[in-house]
Amino acid sequence: MNTFRGLKMLYWTGLISVTRSRAALFWTLAFPAFFLFVFGFVFGGSPGGATYLMPGLWTITVISATFFGTSMTMVTERENGTFRRYHVTPVTPQAIVTAFGLVQATTLVLSLILQGVLAWLVFKVDPQGPIYLLLPVFAAGIFAFTPLGLIVGSISRDMKTAPVVSNLLFFPLMFLSGAAVPFFMLPDAVQKIARLLPSTYLVEALQGVMVRGESLGKLSGPIAVLVLTGVVGFTLNTLLFRWESTDPVNRRNLAIALGGLALIYAAAALFGPELRMRINPS
Amino acid sequence: MLIETVGLEKQYGEVHALRGVSVSIEEGSVVGILGPNGAGKTTFVEIVEGLRRQSAGSVRVFGLDPVTESSALKQRLGVQLQSTHLPEDLTVREVLGLYRSFYEEAGTIEAALDYVDLSAKENARTRELSGGQKQRLAIAMALIHDPDLILLDEPTTGLDPAARRELHGVILGLKERGKSILLTTHYIEEAETLCDRVIILCDGRSVADGSPFELLEQAQGRNTVWIEVEGEIDFLPLVWAGAEPCGQEGRHLRFQTDDPAGFVVALGQLLQEQELTLTDLRLKRPNLEDMYLELVGGVEGGGGQSIGVDAGVDVGTGSEVDGGSGDVLPDTSINEDPKR
Repeated sequence: MNTFRGLKMLYWTGLISVTRSRAALFWTLAFPAFFLFVFGFVFGGSPGGATYLMPGLWTITVISATFFGTSMTMVTERENGTFRRYHVTPVTPQAIVTAFGLVQATTLVLSLILQGVLAWLVFKVDPQGPIYLLLPVFAAGIFAFTPLGLIVGSISRDMKTAPVVSNLLFFPLMFLSGAAVPFFMLPDAVQKIARLLPSTYLVEALQGVMVRGESLGKLSGPIAVLVLTGVVGFTLNTLLFRWESTDPVNRRNLAIALGGLALIYAAAALFGPELRMRINPS
Repeated sequence: MLIETVGLEKQYGEVHALRGVSVSIEEGSVVGILGPNGAGKTTFVEIVEGLRRQSAGSVRVFGLDPVTESSALKQRLGVQLQSTHLPEDLTVREVLGLYRSFYEEAGTIEAALDYVDLSAKENARTRELSGGQKQRLAIAMALIHDPDLILLDEPTTGLDPAARRELHGVILGLKERGKSILLTTHYIEEAETLCDRVIILCDGRSVADGSPFELLEQAQGRNTVWIEVEGEIDFLPLVWAGAEPCGQEGRHLRFQTDDPAGFVVALGQLLQEQELTLTDLRLKRPNLEDMYLELVGGVEGGGGQSIGVDAGVDVGTGSEVDGGSGDVLPDTSINEDPKR
């Protein structure tokens, strides 16, 4: 097949579908904005407080979009037979997965930008570092989490199991990483476990820009962990891709995927520098 | 050779979906796979499409293995699955543009729309289409790259009679353009109308194979004749002529005969001798439905009556038809083909 043309059309029609779906627009734009206001008014009383809040909020937006948006959409498409129909055409799993990831990444970027602009306008957030540094951090975060969402979509048997798997991952990623609760408030043991979670590195990098005003050099550690996660995730995604719900999950490939991710995080936990968000910024 | 299968078998756990199906299908024909639900029709087509791997036997399509050489094969196959989910928020043109992008060489969207007579709806979102239009779009998706072989899996199932007839027109149009088509159906009328060749599958086996005409010649069923006369009739001369009386239906007497012409001659003499007036005469010849029911044994029906083919007999559902021995009075006169 003409891989690039197929990929481009899958991406383009995917975007069109999102813009024409009220439900998709609500979850992509309205819900993250609503989430911002709830958090902002409850916890972010001052510009400093709101600024400290944003890294966690953005991280939660990324996690929820990938584990509930990306994975659920993927399971839905597989269950309704869309993938099966693609299977009788020359389109490849790589093209489908990549287009899927790009559509989700595009909508996620819009959600994050909208939250940032609204936070700046309403809560007067005051980033301590240059705003442009948010771009590589967002890019790395989306690059890391999108394939994780796709993997969940691939391994979830059906629409009943997908939310269970997503929830099992969503809550630890949110609560143990410093996204929902300030990291310095977590017990030492939990902080050690948190180093095995990708969301921890996203919060760390975002706090580096927003709270500590760090340079790109200082952000490179957590960004590298996120990028490596994305590389492993995307590589293994096509191996785990299933055309139909009745296709068995390739356990060997799943074990390789989990093993690869475990290696990255074990190395980051053992050899990486101390997380700077352990220190109370105030 | 377009498709060649030898001893094709497929097993799902304990269930044998196909039990040694061997068929050869040549280019340029419309071949129908006919059979009740669970006969193995869809499994057969899915193996040809490369969606399933056979448990035993071999299959070649254009000389290619559908699984190991799927990339080359998919460029030449146009597939309409039994159910196609259409992206609701895209227009007809956008859907066709998407599927067109998957192929190395593809025809124009306009040509595909023209094939299925859907040009007027090109900018409509798929959610706005009727059931028949959606099915025509599904066929257009299969035609977008001008394939050498079109596989249609129960293309008219679930459609109302008008939509079904429209789709028959589309398929006949493809046939006129010389397309090779393999379609599965459980509508006998569809197989008779559309196909050059019919393969009847039952319980995973090929139980009949030939043109509808050839299959009709093999049909074992007898002719059924209904007569209505004014006055008392002594039908013994008709029995001497080889007819078998089968009782009365309202004011009609029913007979079965192998020689309808001899029956009519004997009836004419009887009417003259007994000075009776014939008020109605109806004849039903054995048709593909009779043969089909004989072969599949009325697998899903009860015992009772068969129904006219024109009613869109859904043999698969079993609720409308049976394999019983009775015939109902056809709503046609002697000069009409009872099926039409």
